[in-house]
Amino acid sequence: MSNEELESQLSAMFDDELPAPECELLARRLARDEQLRGRWGRYAAIGACIRGEPGIRLETTLAGKVSAAIKQEAAPGEVPATQRRHYGALHPWLTSLGGLASAAAVAAVAILWMRSQGPNVPQIAAVPPAPVRTPPATALPVAAPQLVSGQSPDHLRRAREADSYVIPASAAQGPALVPPTELANYMVAHSAYSGPLLRRNALSALVGEDSAAPAVTAQPIAATVVTQK
Amino acid sequence: MIPRRAVREPVLWLVMTLASAAACAAETPQYWLDRMNAALTSRNYDGVFSHWQSGRLETLRIIHRVQDGAVTERLESLDGSGRVFVRDGAELTCYLPDQRTVLVEQAPQSLMPAGLPKFDAALGGVYLLASQGAMRQMGEKAEVITVTPRDGFRYGYRLWIQRATGMPLRTQLLDTNGSVIEELVFSSLSMRHHIADEEFKPKLSTSGFQWLRNDDAPTVTAEGPGDWSNVQLPPGFSLTAQTAQMMPGVAAPVTHLVFSDGVATVSVFIQTEVFRNSPTQVSAGLAQVGSSSTFTSVQSGHKFVALGEVPPATVRFIIGALMNRSAPPDPAQGPK
Amino acid sequence: MTADASDLSLVQRVQRGDKGAFDVLVLKYQHKVVKLVMRYVRNPAEAEDIAQDAFIKAYRALPQFRGDSAFYTWLYRIAINTAKNAVVARDRNPVDFDLDMTNTEESYEMQGRLKDSETPEALVLTDEIRTTVNAAIANLPDDLRTAIVLRELEGLSYEEIAATMDCPVGTVRSRIFRAREAIDSRLREVFEGGLGRAEEIG
Repeated sequence: MSNEELESQLSAMFDDELPAPECELLARRLARDEQLRGRWGRYAAIGACIRGEPGIRLETTLAGKVSAAIKQEAAPGEVPATQRRHYGALHPWLTSLGGLASAAAVAAVAILWMRSQGPNVPQIAAVPPAPVRTPPATALPVAAPQLVSGQSPDHLRRAREADSYVIPASAAQGPALVPPTELANYMVAHSAYSGPLLRRNALSALVGEDSAAPAVTAQPIAATVVTQK
Repeated sequence: MIPRRAVREPVLWLVMTLASAAACAAETPQYWLDRMNAALTSRNYDGVFSHWQSGRLETLRIIHRVQDGAVTERLESLDGSGRVFVRDGAELTCYLPDQRTVLVEQAPQSLMPAGLPKFDAALGGVYLLASQGAMRQMGEKAEVITVTPRDGFRYGYRLWIQRATGMPLRTQLLDTNGSVIEELVFSSLSMRHHIADEEFKPKLSTSGFQWLRNDDAPTVTAEGPGDWSNVQLPPGFSLTAQTAQMMPGVAAPVTHLVFSDGVATVSVFIQTEVFRNSPTQVSAGLAQVGSSSTFTSVQSGHKFVALGEVPPATVRFIIGALMNRSAPPDPAQGPK
Repeated sequence: MTADASDLSLVQRVQRGDKGAFDVLVLKYQHKVVKLVMRYVRNPAEAEDIAQDAFIKAYRALPQFRGDSAFYTWLYRIAINTAKNAVVARDRNPVDFDLDMTNTEESYEMQGRLKDSETPEALVLTDEIRTTVNAAIANLPDDLRTAIVLRELEGLSYEEIAATMDCPVGTVRSRIFRAREAIDSRLREVFEGGLGRAEEIG
């Protein structure tokens, strides 16, 4: 998108005349782009001038003070440090994997390499409800990887069993009818064939940072026999 | 563009206007789909796009190059995880800096969509292909093409196809109410003449990373056991692929059936000999996973899981049909 | 298109932990909030302090914001309460306005500069900015000037402006954008390098 198109969107968004999806895109950009923010601030100043308001600022004096003040505050939804330690207890199955459990895995999507435990993978029992999202930077007990760090491409590991991508869902589909890990494997296999234009469901979940596990909202059907005429 | 010189030549001018009129007449919706398919598969492009699904938005950058018939692609998450996927031919390397891991595996499929199929009579019977005319998207002139399902068994698409390049600047997946359930929008896109090998490198340090390779799995056979072709399906759907593969944590091979109407695809995974202790137990579950519907049913020791970018009714229908066969085909027998 | 999409998209980002998005909201509403607070306190420096408190309160309360009302409506209430409390705390007669959202912007007219202790530098800066902007607006072609004044002064929506000016909505959007661009480039010209001054004054 050209700069001009971007700035035109900025102007429309400032007037609340930009469609929601574009707003979300631009909001993300605004939060990061200082130049764009400066322009946004000047739009506000222009409006204030036209209305004859007092105390017009071009720079973000007031905003700067607020910004400095809120830096001290916890981010909305951030779990205070004291609570974070408990995640290990809630998710013992994560830390037991000799792999890549990380902070992100708890609250958002993570790619876990699941070493097959043999023919019977321990069923993931009670999957807790979606935990509060924590920013990836927060520290969580991380299981020590079994492989020695410093491993180079020369020591490529060969999987004995089929390793796979595992995307833990934030909620299980009923009482482990389809464990999240199994569902994730199906999604990856399906993505090889799925809808031509949007086939990347599984892949984009793997690439994207906080595309949290696809929300599996279960609509349980009491045990029924599925009949067909 | 009619050059000035020609205007003074009335006959030539007339011929040229007729020619351009004929060209316009040929710009059918299918023409635009063909252009899009060609652009996605054969052009070099470099763009940033947003993928919106289930209320979540992620921004990604794609670089795509076709050189001497070989395809190289690089997909990078711009949202902070730093993850990069690089596909070179059939090998896919996934760099996961947040996990300090690199995954290498075989993946013949492209990282980016490959377009929509030709709309023949069969496909036209279940989808209505139409053009909504030209609109501006991202400041560019684009032809808006709609693929509207004729029944409630599938979803629809709306595409903004750039007139100049054929690229789908914006793509929407629409549910049975016409609401957008998934969207892909390019915020910048350039059709590059030349892309150097350098540009496909992940551009991050992998020292200390764990390298994991997945060469020989999944063991996919060209044809799985049993004959599943004779199943009652929603209109337009047919069995298009049938494989068996090993999946982690499952001892026996899992049958993977693929049903498609040409646009929508539903996968069905079948496990046998589950829940040995309660052979008569029947249970079922329906769920939504992103924009995909999934339906699971366990009966007589078999577990069927259907998954696809289709309305819930479709996955239920297909599972029901599969389970209602007189008996599941004998895995020991090959396809007839 | 949902109303309030602009603010909501920013609010959502804040609720997901993006503090930068809150800065953007403050930038947009700082003048409005200061102006609002100044109904209760005359001193602009004091008004700014109160406005700052109001924004911080809003930030803390943001996890509870559900989008039942427009974001600015919600912020407005917080600002009013903060201002009233500040005045009460200083033991002055609480100013009791029966404020109605519909006539807030119009009813308060701020003419000329305040006499009480706006610092001279701040005054100069405000005047300089205002002079620059007014001059730039005067130089705008009629259609651009009309569009931006209808938008900023009268608060009309694009649709309403389109009806008033008898042109398509797209044209309205374009005119407002081009008006802003023209004024902004003049602002940047005049204040390039001088923008830092505001920081020192703060």
